[in-house]
Amino acid sequence: MKKTLEVLGMVCPFPLIEAKEAMKDLSSGDELEVQFDCTQGTESIPRWAAEEGHEVVEYEQLGEAAWTITVKKK
Amino acid sequence: MLLTGIICGVLLGFVMQRGRFCLTGGFRDMYIAKDNRMFYALLIAIAVQSVGVFALIGAGVFEYSAGQLPILAVVIGSFIFGIGIILSGGCATGTWYRAGEGLIGSWIALAMYMLMSAIMRTGPLGSFTTAAREPVIGTDSIADTFGINVWFLVVPFVALVAFIVYRELKKPKVKIPQLKPKKTGLAHILFEKRWNPFVTAVLIGLIATAAWPLSAATGRVFGLGITAPSANILQFLVSGDIDFINWGVFLVLGIFLGSFFGAKMSGEFRLRVPDTKTCVRSASGGLLMGFGASLAGGCSIGNGLVMTAMMTWSGWIALVFMILGTWTASYFVFVRPAKQRAAASTAVTA
Repeated sequence: MKKTLEVLGMVCPFPLIEAKEAMKDLSSGDELEVQFDCTQGTESIPRWAAEEGHEVVEYEQLGEAAWTITVKKK
Repeated sequence: MLLTGIICGVLLGFVMQRGRFCLTGGFRDMYIAKDNRMFYALLIAIAVQSVGVFALIGAGVFEYSAGQLPILAVVIGSFIFGIGIILSGGCATGTWYRAGEGLIGSWIALAMYMLMSAIMRTGPLGSFTTAAREPVIGTDSIADTFGINVWFLVVPFVALVAFIVYRELKKPKVKIPQLKPKKTGLAHILFEKRWNPFVTAVLIGLIATAAWPLSAATGRVFGLGITAPSANILQFLVSGDIDFINWGVFLVLGIFLGSFFGAKMSGEFRLRVPDTKTCVRSASGGLLMGFGASLAGGCSIGNGLVMTAMMTWSGWIALVFMILGTWTASYFVFVRPAKQRAAASTAVTA
């Protein structure tokens, strides 16, 4: 299952807080795509995923100050 | 001479934007994520600046004497400032550099911060600020209080920071996924690569050191400062009094330009409009920041980075209460809502 979370316009640390919340409802192996535009999120979201042991399947910059990251729940 | 302020500011804004140097986030994460990295980074910047500035003073480049300690104003002001920066999503410098990244919410916070800082200086609350900062309890210099040479404070502090850095670097590293590099060479390092916060901190410490002699040369004997210059801009704009224009004004304008340049070159600039709730939060945060920083005589830079490096009571007391303020606000803004949501969802499942 893949869930998409759009947190455009939200400033740090809310994108990460929302991502953590959304992750709780997923089961192992499910993917969560987070679309965000908060610059600080480019550091905090992948760091959180790495520290929690989730796999980052995709991580790309879509355009000026817009990013997408897909995390697979461990 | 005032132009050195712009140069210093541009460098600072650029380094902070690229290095994601966010003190608000750093203080907040000590509590909500049990992550002290950004706090340690701040300590590194303080240590570098402390050694640099006291070496310059020792060499006779300029003179500095700490004033008196208005303890109550520092404690209360810093605590309120700490609450303000959580609401506005960035400290004073953070708000300046996020404004440069195109965040409209930070523009709102900045406008309110400037307004309140001006009100607290030459506005109707000016006499309140003066009165609140009047009761002092002796010298602000920690070294003078104990009657010792300041290096007896600087050297042990540097040793402590070195120990913390050594311990942090020894910890096993988690590999953090990165964006695929699209640039190479210098462009990659300057406009794409993730900067190590400790390297960023050393650069900030060096800029903060350089700020002292550069600012002193224009007659303003102080280092980096954000609150007074931010107020000065507004004071100048409404009074036309050129005396409000000083090195610090050029510094803060430089931060904005440097951050804009860094963000633009890295594809991280875009005008971003927040929702209504964030706007209201930013505005109230800006007001609290202006009130708190003016009362305390400095923000997270003026007190937290500079006065700490000068080994003053006000700097370190301000830093402690600022952090307590961010934790208090974090509880109400982040921790409690999360608990309530968790409780609500359990109730639904049950």
